[in-house]
Amino acid sequence: MKELKFLLAVWKANLLSVMEYRISFITQVLGMMLNDFMYFAIWIIFFDRFKDVRGWGVGDMYITYGVLASAFGLVSLFLGNAFTLSEIINNGRLDYYLSLPRPVLLHTVSSRMVSSGMGDFAYGFVSYALSGQYTWDGFLRFILATFLAAVVFASFLILVGSLAFWFGIISNLTNLMVNAMITFGIYPTTLFDNYAKLILFTIIPAALMGAVPAEFIAQFSWLSLAKLLTGAIIFLFLAITIFYTGLKRYESGSAIQIEV
Amino acid sequence: MKSFKKYWSIFRITLINSLAYPGELIGRSLMIIPFMWIFYQLWKITFEAAGVATINGMTLYSTLWYLMMAETIELSRPALARTISENVKDGSIAYILNKPYSFLLYQFSNSMGETIFRALTNALFGSVVVWWLVGPPPAPLGWFFALIALFGTWILNFCITCLIGLSAFLVEDVSPYMWIYQKFVFILGGFLIPLSFYPPWLQTIAKALPFAAMIYGPSQLFVTPSLELFINVLLMQFIWIAILGSTLVFSYNRGVTYLTVNGG
Amino acid sequence: MSAIEVTQLQKTFQTKRKTVGLRGSMRALFKPEYSSIEAVRRLSFQMEAGELLGFIGPNGAGKSTTIKMLTGILHPSGGDAKVLGFVPWKERQKLAYHIGTVFGQRPQLWYHLPAIDTFMLFGKIYEMDDRETKKRIEFLAEAFEMQDLLETPVRKLSLGQRMRCEVAASLLHRPKLLLLDEPSIGLDVVAKQHIRDAIRRMAQEENVGVLLTSHDAGDLEALCRRVIIINHGQIVYEDKVSNLKRKFLTRKMVEVRYAEEVSKDFSISGVEILKIGHYGVKLRFDTTKTSVDAVMSHLSEAGELVDITVSDPPLEDVIAKIYEQAREAENEAGK
Repeated sequence: MKELKFLLAVWKANLLSVMEYRISFITQVLGMMLNDFMYFAIWIIFFDRFKDVRGWGVGDMYITYGVLASAFGLVSLFLGNAFTLSEIINNGRLDYYLSLPRPVLLHTVSSRMVSSGMGDFAYGFVSYALSGQYTWDGFLRFILATFLAAVVFASFLILVGSLAFWFGIISNLTNLMVNAMITFGIYPTTLFDNYAKLILFTIIPAALMGAVPAEFIAQFSWLSLAKLLTGAIIFLFLAITIFYTGLKRYESGSAIQIEV
Repeated sequence: MKSFKKYWSIFRITLINSLAYPGELIGRSLMIIPFMWIFYQLWKITFEAAGVATINGMTLYSTLWYLMMAETIELSRPALARTISENVKDGSIAYILNKPYSFLLYQFSNSMGETIFRALTNALFGSVVVWWLVGPPPAPLGWFFALIALFGTWILNFCITCLIGLSAFLVEDVSPYMWIYQKFVFILGGFLIPLSFYPPWLQTIAKALPFAAMIYGPSQLFVTPSLELFINVLLMQFIWIAILGSTLVFSYNRGVTYLTVNGG
Repeated sequence: MSAIEVTQLQKTFQTKRKTVGLRGSMRALFKPEYSSIEAVRRLSFQMEAGELLGFIGPNGAGKSTTIKMLTGILHPSGGDAKVLGFVPWKERQKLAYHIGTVFGQRPQLWYHLPAIDTFMLFGKIYEMDDRETKKRIEFLAEAFEMQDLLETPVRKLSLGQRMRCEVAASLLHRPKLLLLDEPSIGLDVVAKQHIRDAIRRMAQEENVGVLLTSHDAGDLEALCRRVIIINHGQIVYEDKVSNLKRKFLTRKMVEVRYAEEVSKDFSISGVEILKIGHYGVKLRFDTTKTSVDAVMSHLSEAGELVDITVSDPPLEDVIAKIYEQAREAENEAGK
């Protein structure tokens, strides 16, 4: 599609833009890898003390964490503005994308690359490698699962960010949602009863970003693949719908503060 | 005392400002609800799997209330490092220097104004959930001790985040340092897992560092208040405030000197 | 076909009323009050293809709102508009291919990259061929004298240089209409001159219509043939710039210098003496009350003139006067 050519051009501009600051780029990447490791260290402490939780051991944890990190990294690299969508809406920057002849949502969210995403993406692979359950078909599943998890995550971010059309400044809420996704993404689904599972599949689809992809990677099953695909499609649909609904509201001027 | 009035009014303004977007304030604080729920699930299973009612002196009940306190603290932190680093980077810190107030005290009043209501609503929603899950909150003595320790936490957090923000004088980008700081707080502050569950050697290290005084301190006091612990925590806080506070003032003054000598 | 046709365009906003103090904030939490602002009221005007139209008015007059509606970013509360044959808010993406926008407050060029990288990206955005894009860049670089600026990161350019590149970027895809919103804001005199010249030249060469909003009258004088003055969301005055000056031009300033000291009394009825010295005098008078001939004869009789300067009031004064007149009319109507 012609949009692909356009996207490649945007991503290229993104990369050039971040590479202008070599040192910052490197500290971001390395810093993030260190950050990810330290965060995981808590779980190492946990599993050292409690061995395993209903069959989910530290090895499974490595995989879950790995796919989460890589998916997060993918979104940061290619759809970096999904994180700051609410700010873009609130400070009028959306007008810039609206005045150009390309699909607004796609243009907006793809126009930034977060350098640290490279660190997350890379660390995910490291984490997977450390799991001790490394196989070639597993690796392929890791790539597919990472991609689908990234779709879920990006869609979720867009969904939350679009709330700015109705609620104004919600950047703090967005940050919290991101934290929630990461925090709970790591928890294995075996831990939770049905009520909790519901939350983790819907309101905060962390399960679709962590546990379910991890299951799929550990062992191929049609069921987990189906869960992933369905989740990705549904959230993508929701994200696009909510964004464009909010956009209509924005265009009618009933959204945030206007300068006359 | 007149000079302190201005900081009080800065605090008041920020406080009022934090109410300007009520939807956001409440929405943010609602987040603590699923957090507490899921922690409950994790620890219930863990306690069951371990087959005991008490682990390292903590019951499921006290663990949950500990975590509620810890979450409240963590979730009400304002993004001070970023603000300050931006001020340094775009030179606007120079303008603040022209004003007749102390930059540090200004930032402190400002961030406290942002924090108070957030902490309140977080604690409110968190308490409701945890009450429903494991029972009523611990005895008032715990509240009292924790609240006092909380002030120490806020001051300590301010010192550290301010220092990180000021490092913008030296480095291009402060965010990796914020991440690492936060992770230290997580690990060594006993944030996601109560510090009492850690291997003893790690506990010793953690308790010597400021992070434990920030999270573990108030949270543990909240559930197992004891004069001994209280004094311990306050002492640690005091020592670290002295160290970090003076480092902060020193670094700030160095930064200011650098600015006035070299320009923006 | 006109480039722009606006009929009875209207836009009303609802804004939450912010209350003062702690109690007010708490009340606003549960029962917010709204007030409506009529930003644009029944606005109607037309612009021909290739025309240079100025849209001038004070802050809050409704200029930006109107521009947003014309670019399709904002939906009107009422009325119609057609830009290049498209209804902006219904066919925004299609319209986008044919218009260029420069917003003084909203940069298009990527801050950290050299301008040329943004140009190449724009080429892709407007679905231009790479080769076509490069040729176009060369052409624009020459027209805007930016050859040495293109490879420098935008953040290192001065504001004037950046604006030049911004305007060039907006013309990359050969739009038929260029919308400029406060393009010269913050620029120094020389930079303003540069920009205005470049815009005028491009507009002529490529027959691009230019709609310029500004509250800098200098922009108007340099670029526009026709001007619409807008205030409080309504058109207050509409005419050719030349007419504007002539109609409101009833005051003239004259400054003269003599070869030798003069001690003549310069008081003429209806003439205001601004400055008087041994060798010269500066006067101001209303041409409708005192004839130019009377003043000039009086002055030349006083001695041998060696220097004379006659000036019109600046356009700013003219426009300020128009605002004032409009406000008085409104007050009258309100009574």
